[in-house]
Amino acid sequence: MKRILLGTLFAAVSINAMAEAPGGPNCGWGNLLFEGQRGTPAHFLASTTNGTSGNATFGMTSGTNGCSTKAALTYGGKSWFAMNGMMNELSEDMAQGQGEALTTYAVVLGVAPEDRAHFAAVTHEHFQQIFSSADVTAETVHSNTLAVLKSDPQLAKYATEA
Amino acid sequence: MLKRLASLALIVSAPLHAAPQLDLARVQQLAATPYWIALGHYETAKLGGWRSYVDDPRFFLAEDGAHHPDQELQATVAALYAPASLGDKHAQCVFPARTRWLREQLALTDLPSPACQEFDTWYKSIDPHSAALIFPAAYLNSPSSMFGHTLLRIDQSNTRRDDTTLLSYAINFGAYIEGSDNSILYAWKGLMGGYPGLFAMMPYQEKLSEYRSLENRDLWEYQLDLTPEETGRMVEHVWELKQIKFDYFFFDENCSYRLLELLQVARPSLDLTSQFPLTAIPTDTVKAVKQSGLVADVRYRPSRERELLARAEPLDHVEKQQVLAISADTAQLQSPSFTALPRDRQALVQDAAYRLERYRANGQERDPAQAGRSYELLRAINRNPPPPLQIERPGLPEDGHQSRTWQLGVGTREDRAYAEYGLRMAYHDLNDNMDSFPLGAQIEILQLKLRQYEGNDWQVQRLDLATIRSLTPRNELLKPWSWQVAGGLERVPGKHDDEVLVSHVNGGAGGTWQLGDDLLGFALGTVRVEHHNDFAELISPAAGFNGGLLWRNPLGNLTLEAKGDFFTNGEVRRSVSLNQQWEISRDLGLRLSASRQFSHLATAQNEVMLELKWYQY
Repeated sequence: MKRILLGTLFAAVSINAMAEAPGGPNCGWGNLLFEGQRGTPAHFLASTTNGTSGNATFGMTSGTNGCSTKAALTYGGKSWFAMNGMMNELSEDMAQGQGEALTTYAVVLGVAPEDRAHFAAVTHEHFQQIFSSADVTAETVHSNTLAVLKSDPQLAKYATEA
Repeated sequence: MLKRLASLALIVSAPLHAAPQLDLARVQQLAATPYWIALGHYETAKLGGWRSYVDDPRFFLAEDGAHHPDQELQATVAALYAPASLGDKHAQCVFPARTRWLREQLALTDLPSPACQEFDTWYKSIDPHSAALIFPAAYLNSPSSMFGHTLLRIDQSNTRRDDTTLLSYAINFGAYIEGSDNSILYAWKGLMGGYPGLFAMMPYQEKLSEYRSLENRDLWEYQLDLTPEETGRMVEHVWELKQIKFDYFFFDENCSYRLLELLQVARPSLDLTSQFPLTAIPTDTVKAVKQSGLVADVRYRPSRERELLARAEPLDHVEKQQVLAISADTAQLQSPSFTALPRDRQALVQDAAYRLERYRANGQERDPAQAGRSYELLRAINRNPPPPLQIERPGLPEDGHQSRTWQLGVGTREDRAYAEYGLRMAYHDLNDNMDSFPLGAQIEILQLKLRQYEGNDWQVQRLDLATIRSLTPRNELLKPWSWQVAGGLERVPGKHDDEVLVSHVNGGAGGTWQLGDDLLGFALGTVRVEHHNDFAELISPAAGFNGGLLWRNPLGNLTLEAKGDFFTNGEVRRSVSLNQQWEISRDLGLRLSASRQFSHLATAQNEVMLELKWYQY
């Protein structure tokens, strides 16, 4: 029930989500980088009375952003899907080599605190391999990241713990 | 439905688990404790007795539980003893906060133990550990955002250690809009309580991008010193409010009020809601929370727009032109004029160009060409990253002046002396004490001014329903419009040098320019309709102008304005005015106003007034 609600919530945000994106329909996992947030009239009004629109109300749990979670959860009950809404921020942070979204990505991937600076450096260096085009999806970014981690001796261990 | 199930279950289960026979006096006493009142969102009704803000039968187990906390308490205790086989529908699963409290208060050691799978999964996934009060500050070009909004963020045990607030959850209370309503109707209904209020829980990150990117509002995060246990109590109660409808009125029973109630559920010793008998404005609630000693520390997140402006600030004219050129066409990254710049300047220019490009994409559908440009700029940033942005934290929003204002003035109009008495319900005008407010934003709601001329001659001077002005400076990169609207009653020159009370609505649009560090110049074209007893027609339209200067000086804010209204019936009304505020203390100000008014109906009139302003609460 909650998941269904959540699905509709997310559908409202990401109209262009692929019909059968990995992680289930309406998951957003298949969204392209720089997916727009549409400032619809409904949104404008919703914000004037701080409202929620559509049937989005309590639709959340587990930070899975509407994605089915057959895949194992990774860290603190969060799945990769938690990164869904932050792809733009993540691309910016990774391009610069630092930032909150990049830290969060490291945490979600289970990277231990002592390896996070190195993680930031390595992903910064391989930014163009991870964000390989303007049309990457969260899914591609994730698998590209794992590929980069695998080739780094210090970080390889995080690429296998899925 | 639930109620029926529960009572049905109760009958069936009577022989299995007997609810304890509660002593009536004990019930009365328990039901009157602030905690039970808070859990049921009760308030004392106007005609005595109780009423609940919750407007949803699913929230109550007793037939008239919305008006009888004691009956609701009894019905809840009975329902707690329903057979465990009800599972997720069991009252213990639906009302975990009530359950916990009643179990403690009444020492209910023999309760059945239903499996609350849904609740347990949900609660575990949220893993509440600490909480923060979130206040999105006003956005200058949208003064209605000055009323602001507050929400709560629920952090997990590792959130602070790992710096992962992006993974936290937000608890938001707002109007619940079904379907796609006509927009004007929506705003009206929202204000008048036509929509129910509902709690929603969502990833905090969604709220962040909504406020910081889509609406360009700075965000303030007040970390609260609630213990994990207190935070958990609050989250348990939020579960009870899942999909539950509240009465919702924009001005009092709003988001801020509801969140104060939640905080009282978290820590019963707090008394926050009683401080707001009339209206709860979000900044005021921030103040109340802070005064109660709940705030551990404060964090500031600048909006995306502020970040863009901060990045562009050190750039000179030529570099800003580069920013514009590159954001329009990334091939310019290879142009000799760009590559000739020192490398560290290149880093700033391309980062500003990227931010500008994303700013423009704000609120739009994804455009492949634009996405391509953004990506090219990211690659350039990746090769030559700029230093991290350093943005100075502005004044805390809760340190600004209070919102309700009393005004006492003395002055002369031509040769007649007068005293003027005024009250403004909210909030801030261009001249008011400036600390923690943006320069050039004004929103006033409900202002009444009475004048007493010599000889005890009283008159209504003005009644403003709303006055909104938004003077946002234009610059090389961003070109926002300035605008204003106002409506109400005011005195204008009439025949025989009388001051005539007219009703009016007016508005304008134009531009504002930053003329110096603390100096804005503005010019707007205006339109106005007015009902004036000295005019032949019922409604008289006019077009005109409004321009001037706004200067932040050591004493306070100064405005120098010229206005003109050219009516279709031939009347021409013009005025020049000067206002200088002297900021005495946070909540006290003295204002000198001088004006000269011209009209075809009367001789020119001079007016000078000195006015004391007390920003009361």
